[in-house]
This record gives sequence, C-alpha cells and structure tokens, in this order.
Amino acid sequence: MKDITITGSRIKKEIIIAVVSLLAAIILNIFSIAKFKTDWSELFGQLHVVILVAIAIYILVLIFRLIFWGIAGLIQKK
Amino acid sequence: MESKIKNRRDFLKEMGVYASSTAFLASIPWLDAFAQENGKNVAASDRVRIAVIGVGSRGRALLMNLQQVENVEIVAVCDNYEPHYSRAIELTDGKAKAFYDHKKMIDAVKDIDAVVVATPLHEHAHIVVDCLNADIHVFCEKAMARTLVDTKLMADTAIAKGKILQIGQQRLFNPVYLNALERVRAGEIGQITQVRAYWHRNADWRRPVPSPELERKINWRMYNEYSGGLMTELAAHQVQVANWYIDKVPTQVMGSGSICFWKDGREVYDHVALVYDYPDGSKCTYDSMIANKHHGLEEQIMGNLGTIEPEINRIYSENPPQAPGIRQLVHDIESSIFDVIPIGGATWIPETAVQYRGDVIAPYENNDSFLQFVGFAKAVKNNKPYPNLLREGYHATIAVLLGLQAMDTNEIVAWPAEYVMEKDV
Repeated sequence: MKDITITGSRIKKEIIIAVVSLLAAIILNIFSIAKFKTDWSELFGQLHVVILVAIAIYILVLIFRLIFWGIAGLIQKK
Repeated sequence: MESKIKNRRDFLKEMGVYASSTAFLASIPWLDAFAQENGKNVAASDRVRIAVIGVGSRGRALLMNLQQVENVEIVAVCDNYEPHYSRAIELTDGKAKAFYDHKKMIDAVKDIDAVVVATPLHEHAHIVVDCLNADIHVFCEKAMARTLVDTKLMADTAIAKGKILQIGQQRLFNPVYLNALERVRAGEIGQITQVRAYWHRNADWRRPVPSPELERKINWRMYNEYSGGLMTELAAHQVQVANWYIDKVPTQVMGSGSICFWKDGREVYDHVALVYDYPDGSKCTYDSMIANKHHGLEEQIMGNLGTIEPEINRIYSENPPQAPGIRQLVHDIESSIFDVIPIGGATWIPETAVQYRGDVIAPYENNDSFLQFVGFAKAVKNNKPYPNLLREGYHATIAVLLGLQAMDTNEIVAWPAEYVMEKDV
C-alpha cells in the first residue's frame, strides 16, 4: 500500500483555511444580528450554529479546491 | 400527591396556578376553597365513606382513582349487570358491600357519606335524586342527564337539599387548564373570539355483546333513549371548557348531525358539527366524528394575541419571537438558492397554518380524574359544596342537550332563561 505523506505546510494551510472559515462565520453572525436587529447575546448563544456555518464554508472551499486540483492534474497529464 | 402539599401557596403551585391573585381565584372559587381546606389533618376515624354505583368501564376507572385518594373508604358498590357486579367485588377485595339496586344499598348501608354515579346516562337522574333526597352527597359522571328536565331536577334537588352534586368535568381540576385560564384572565391571549373544539376518533364505538338481548344494555351509547351519543359522551367535556374560558353562557346553538359512516343500526349521530353563540359575539365551533382520527381532540382557544391548545399543553403568541439572526440569514440564503420562483403563475401564497411550536403551558404530572376526587373528598369532609362548581357541569349538559335539539329539529335553538344558573349558587 502506498504511504500518503501529509506535509507540515499542508497542515498549516488547512488550519489557516479552517480559521478563516470560522472568522467568516463569526462575521456573518455579526452581520445577521445587525441586519435582523436581534439580540447581541447571540454572538455567544448561537456559537453552535456559527461552527456549523464555518464547517459548511470549509467544505465549500474544499469542493472548489478539489475541482481546481482535478482540472490542474488533467492539464498536466496532457 | 396530596401529602406533599404543605400549605395554600404550595397547593396552588402544585395545581399549576402561580399568581394566585385574588381576582383570578375569585373566578374559580372551588379552587380557592379547595386550597383553603388543604392541609387539614384528618383522623383515621374521619374517613370519607363512599359508594360507587355503576362499575362499567368508566366506573371501574373512577373506582380505581378513588382508591388512591387519602382517607377515602369504598364501603359499597352497586351494579345491575352481573359481570360488573362481580368485578366491583373483586376490585374492592370483597371489603365493600355489593348490591344490584341502589335503593336497597341506600337502605342497607346507613353511614354512606357520598356516592359516585357512573351508570349509563339515562339512569343518572333518578339515582342522583334518590341519593340527594337520602342526604347523601353525589359525584355524577358527565353528562348530567339525558333530558333538560332531568338535568334541572338534579341541580334543583342538590341546591334545595344543600348537598354536593359534583359533575365529572375533570378539566376543572387539571393544572394545565387552570394555568392556561390564569393566563387568559391576565390578558395574555387577548380577547377570546372563538373556541374551536373537536374530538375525532376512528372506531365504531361498539362493545362486544355476549348475547343479542344485551345489545341495548351494553351498547347504550348507540341509542337515543339512553344517550346523546357524541354530544353527551364527548362534547360535554369540551363545551364546558369553552363556557369556562369565555366565561359566559351561550345565547343560542345551531348544528347539523348525521349518521354518515357507521350505518350499523345505531340511532345516535356519528358525525356532528355545531356553532354556539355567546352574548359578546364570540363563538364555540364544535365537531366530532368517529371515522377519522388524524386530528384527535383539542380545544383551540383563540384570542387576538394568542392561542391555547390545552390538550397538548401549548400556548402560542400571535407574534412569536423571531429566530436568531444567523438562522434567518442561513434561511434567506437557502431560499434564494433553492426556492422556485413562479413565472406567470399564481400571485397568491396559501395562508397555511403558522409553523411555530409555541411554549409549554405548565408542567403536568397529575391525573385530573384523581384530582377531582381529592377535591370531592374534601368537599364531602367539609359537608359543603364548592361555589359555582355545579354551575359548570350543569351548563355543559344543558349546552349539549340544546345542541342535540338544534340538530334534531334543524333549527337555531335559543338558550331558555330558566336553564341559566346564576353564579354563587
């Protein structure tokens, strides 16, 4: 079986994307509280939803990256 | 349950009533009286001695509830149907004296404090009147009687003799209903304009008959001579709730009834729909059927600020609190991506029911059939009827009998003045 090597830079890059996704979700939460004039306690009270939104953003970015890698791989083969 | 209650305040909390304001308690005086008397120590010799007349399916359930009430002793049982007679003896471990005839029971057992009457409806009036005339307090299952005249006779006899006549409208002792009523009186759902009540089942309502000559005795609910069918057996509970919450006596009733599905020789309607009008313009719409059970039962108490559904213990605001901002944003994004935008289609959006779960009215762990007997036993012990309690059961029975009259004659029936019982009787 072929060993898969995950490099330090890859891990660092994934952590950065995850943190950026979380920050984006927090910003969305702040934006939505302001837009819908709801209670500012939702900054902490809706953290579970914020985390779910962050995971959704991370997965969305991953899908785009996989498509990009796929196309790039096909071009290189040619 | 009873032993846990230390004082009046705890008792009211236990019954689901929190504010216990004087004005609210004044509107349900039996609860106030019940609370005042609670906590009294009763000596073993001061037990309330009760006889049960009619030990069919409901009578059996009542007997078993009574056996759970502190300081109550079942001294006699009575039923003229052999299997029920034997079962009653078995349920009381042979300790209660058993009779086939209530008059013989009254004559033979001299120290009965009270009786519970759970016979078929058409038997209620003469048994209850006999007991009241023998100076015995009575708990009678709803509905009170098969006819208006009999219902009035029962009430008039109880009042004249100064005896307790409590009708089995157990929702009057239900913590959820009491708490909901407190919130209604505090204005939480605004002005009640309609109570929409219904009770739907999907069953023929028949009981197995061991031999054909017992058909009318066992399936008495199917025959007009003995029962008002859905009205006296089911509607009596829910129309009582409507009268209680609207706090008025209806002025008139209109309705339509039919034997629509179970065409098996029965005489009572298997499908009824009625409208009760109240003096302030509010209404109770009622329907009951036994060919579909999807919606079950409910009394939807609707005000301009909210709705109460006591059977499922929920209260709903007309303006529910908005969802958290992030959820609204996610919902908006989803809608903009996935919702289909009709082009050239209907411009009208169906006004379907609001999808909102509301809030719980009150925590509820008790059995209201049991609680009504706790109340009854206390009243018997104090030898004093609760103010206005009979009025609730009386008006519920008059209402369902007038509803039957409206359906039978296909006319709008006004509530006769002589059948209005004033408050504080």
